[in-house]
Amino acid sequence: MDMMTLLIQAGVNGLVIGTMYALMAIGFTLVFGIMRVVNFAHGEFYMIGSFIAFFTYAQWQLPFVVTILAAVLLVGVVGALVEWALIRPLRGDELTGMIATLGISVVIQNTALMYFGASPRPMPDVISGLVRVGPAVFSWSRIFVIIAAALVIGAFWLFMQKSRTGRAMRAVAQDREAALIQGIDVEKIFPLAFGISVALAAVAGAMMAPVFSVSPFVGVTPMLKAFIVVILGGLGSIPGAVLGGLLLGMIESFGATLLGAMVADMLQLALVIAILLVRPSGLMGRKEA
Amino acid sequence: MKTSLLTLSASAIALGTFASAETMTVGLVAPLSGGGAAWGNAMKGALELAVEDINGAGGLEVGGTTYEISIAAYDSHYNPNDAVTAVNRLIYEDEAAFIVGPLGSAPLAALVPVTTENKKITVTGGFTPIAMAEEHPYSFRAVLPTQIYGNPQIAYVVEKLGAKKVGSLFPNDETGQTMANDISTGYEAAGADASAVDYYERGRVDFVPLLTRVIAQGIDTFELDGSPPQTAGLLVRQLRDLGFEGNIVRTGGDATNDILAVAGPEASEGLYVHMEYDGSLDSLAAYETRYIDAYGGTMNAFSPLFYTTINMIFEGMKAAGTVEDSDAIVAEMAKLTDFEGPAGNANWMGQEVWGVMRQQYIPYAIGQVTDGTPTVIATCDLEKCE
Repeated sequence: MDMMTLLIQAGVNGLVIGTMYALMAIGFTLVFGIMRVVNFAHGEFYMIGSFIAFFTYAQWQLPFVVTILAAVLLVGVVGALVEWALIRPLRGDELTGMIATLGISVVIQNTALMYFGASPRPMPDVISGLVRVGPAVFSWSRIFVIIAAALVIGAFWLFMQKSRTGRAMRAVAQDREAALIQGIDVEKIFPLAFGISVALAAVAGAMMAPVFSVSPFVGVTPMLKAFIVVILGGLGSIPGAVLGGLLLGMIESFGATLLGAMVADMLQLALVIAILLVRPSGLMGRKEA
Repeated sequence: MKTSLLTLSASAIALGTFASAETMTVGLVAPLSGGGAAWGNAMKGALELAVEDINGAGGLEVGGTTYEISIAAYDSHYNPNDAVTAVNRLIYEDEAAFIVGPLGSAPLAALVPVTTENKKITVTGGFTPIAMAEEHPYSFRAVLPTQIYGNPQIAYVVEKLGAKKVGSLFPNDETGQTMANDISTGYEAAGADASAVDYYERGRVDFVPLLTRVIAQGIDTFELDGSPPQTAGLLVRQLRDLGFEGNIVRTGGDATNDILAVAGPEASEGLYVHMEYDGSLDSLAAYETRYIDAYGGTMNAFSPLFYTTINMIFEGMKAAGTVEDSDAIVAEMAKLTDFEGPAGNANWMGQEVWGVMRQQYIPYAIGQVTDGTPTVIATCDLEKCE
């Protein structure tokens, strides 16, 4: 394998991981931007999405589009209810809110463990087969993840930019009081934003389930990566989450391919420290007033 | 009054079943969740079935006392810290008579000094040489380590496949490093270059960047040994996703069923696998049926091996007439030869290698996966496979 092939291979691998990290981080940063809550249960909604994919696609053999829709709707509604029932009463106290999400995370993960067991469950590919571009080889299942994640991110961007609700969400994120004065119902925006945020995590989980298998612990690593990504991109910044996700994915892939796993892990965290030293608010974050 | 009579009647029935009404706790510490769960649950199943046999027959009769056996089981998560916590609980709180586990070299290295100091018999699956040493006389091993079967098996596979350059990935801990050392020594002794090695953190699921790096070094064969069963399945799947058409070999630590479940029969076709024993015995088929009836799914090959060693401990207790004097029990266990178990007759070995006879030995084999099923292609002894 020559160096060019190796670089192409690493680039595509980086895109797969990067788009997944971006998808996770967008939802994570959305909730922080609007509600000032760091949702430590974000990874568990990713895990729920992967189990929805397992049951609807692998067990009941429904079309994968139905799987994605089921993940969005079910997790979105559950997320909105969780916000309404458990996070709303703690609104205004960021630390307590964070501890509450940590508790929600433990409850969801252990419930999954009790019902589904600890062993990972394999899933069939959505699209099987290989794509060969010269000597470089990619699996269709991974190309599918890149395309599907790009479509979801694009749809979410359009929603935030063009729809009335999306603009209202951005307004609340920028200045809650000014948004209230403009007649935006913040009480409706909060559960909606939380629901959309965790639905995005569930979509990421559903799309990655055929690639990495399904277990109650699958959300732990993506959650940690999402945390790194939003710090890298800037807490609350959606373009920062996309940029940070892709950057982290690329560093992970190129680092591991060219230098080995241990160096890649060190590089990721060294980069975060370096960026925070130079730009404490992250690549695209705004300074707190 | 009515309640008291009922309680008395229940107690009388219980006393009738277990004459002297003594209870003995036996412990288990193994990975019951995560990557090594297939092995840990196989160990737990072995202990439960062995205990079921004894309790079902009225208990374990030792020195005139009949013991009903109870099990205290803890999940080590394949983590040395969790394993240490669990073993301390088993020794000091549960007062376990012996301990099945731990699994993995890293937890074992942390624990052997503790179990030795407390004279607790342990049955491990850890491959580290620390498990078998004169200074640790209560440490037994149910599963053959790579150090024993690695060279004969690798020599056979290298000759058959004509392997020249071998790639592998290992967990980045004591277990992985022990394995990497044993495996590369084996391949180099057989004339193949096994230098394309990298390490990963346990829990990782995306190996594509690391596999790309290993494949780029021009390997013709990939060795799966050292990775837990589910991880081995992901490695096979991702190797084929990268278009790797070379040979894939699993030199040790039974993982075939999990590899097939995760990677699928197509990606696993032609895979060379270590088989812990001759899979054609009737006694094995009966044990496997019993195991699957009890737990569902598939049975990992570790289970009948641990079941045999556990029964050897019970036999040692009966012969020694004590459940507490570990030195007497170990001395009686050492006398057992051709001990009948579901996977064949077991003996002790290890004097020449480690200076102690604490390693259970049952002849093993090499299999090749065809249409989703491993078939024996060679049987092995301590010297060679043919």
